[in-house]
Amino acid sequence: MTSLFHYDDDREANSAAKVRALEALLIKKGVLGNDSVDAVLNHFETVAGPFNGARIVARAWMDPEYKRRLLEDTPKAIKELNFPVGMDGAEGEHMKAVANSESVHHLVICTLCSCYPWPVLGLPPYWYKDPVFRSRGVREPRAVLSEFGVSVSTDKEVKVWDSSAQIRWFVIPERPANTEHLNEEQLAALVTPEAMMGVALVSANS
Amino acid sequence: MFTGFEEYAATQMLGQPDSPPRSDGKLYFSEEWQRTVFGMAMALAKDGHFEWEDFRQNLIKAIATWEKDACSRETTWDYYECYTTALIQVLEQYGVIAPNELDKLPNAQ
Repeated sequence: MTSLFHYDDDREANSAAKVRALEALLIKKGVLGNDSVDAVLNHFETVAGPFNGARIVARAWMDPEYKRRLLEDTPKAIKELNFPVGMDGAEGEHMKAVANSESVHHLVICTLCSCYPWPVLGLPPYWYKDPVFRSRGVREPRAVLSEFGVSVSTDKEVKVWDSSAQIRWFVIPERPANTEHLNEEQLAALVTPEAMMGVALVSANS
Repeated sequence: MFTGFEEYAATQMLGQPDSPPRSDGKLYFSEEWQRTVFGMAMALAKDGHFEWEDFRQNLIKAIATWEKDACSRETTWDYYECYTTALIQVLEQYGVIAPNELDKLPNAQ
């Protein structure tokens, strides 16, 4: 980070002391359990997050038959991986996967709101809800992609998918070259949330 | 897609003035106390000690106050400092802790 975010040591120590004192006070009062904080954070760190989407993508790369099922019936294929309840969508919200290939590049945006399947892709980046990103993504997706560092050749089609309350899209990026020796877990580690939105490619060196 | 309070609570904040810092789809904490205070607020609201929305309103106000005074005070931005202020305020509003109870503790300064 730059000096804009420089934080002097005293202020840091004061904040830390205040939070520690508050935690101790609430535990003493019986309001807060000893492990309540970890239990809540566990949800974000191990239950719902981009690591789920990365696992789905890695499995699709390893297993063409799984990829076929994923594209055909996304919620059902996600269920196969035994995620915690709800990761495949709930209450009428359906996940739908699309796959990048030599002939097509997919980009996911949300023009109306900020629908985003974060239990699978993680918390959305700030620009996802930016009205400029949303409108330009529809109008000139190639230009937007190139600003993200993804140049799509003119002979490749670009398809834009608009997430909604009913359908939450996500992208299976192309498997990078020279990854034949990697196992599923190692492949999953290469997959970023941006790649699953179509604004980045997966690199074997990332 | 809400399978738990945690998802409901985080989703309320996303795209709003009180959106938490994040990186690569994950919550971003630069210090352990930030993680602690984030988890405390969510755990306490989950257990019904205050309404999450009331905490959020305090947080939005704390952020607005920082923004208003930022130029004159020349203090650098810290989301979790505002977050801590908002948590203490909502706990006082709900009577979970007494006003200034925390300030009276010797180790809270």
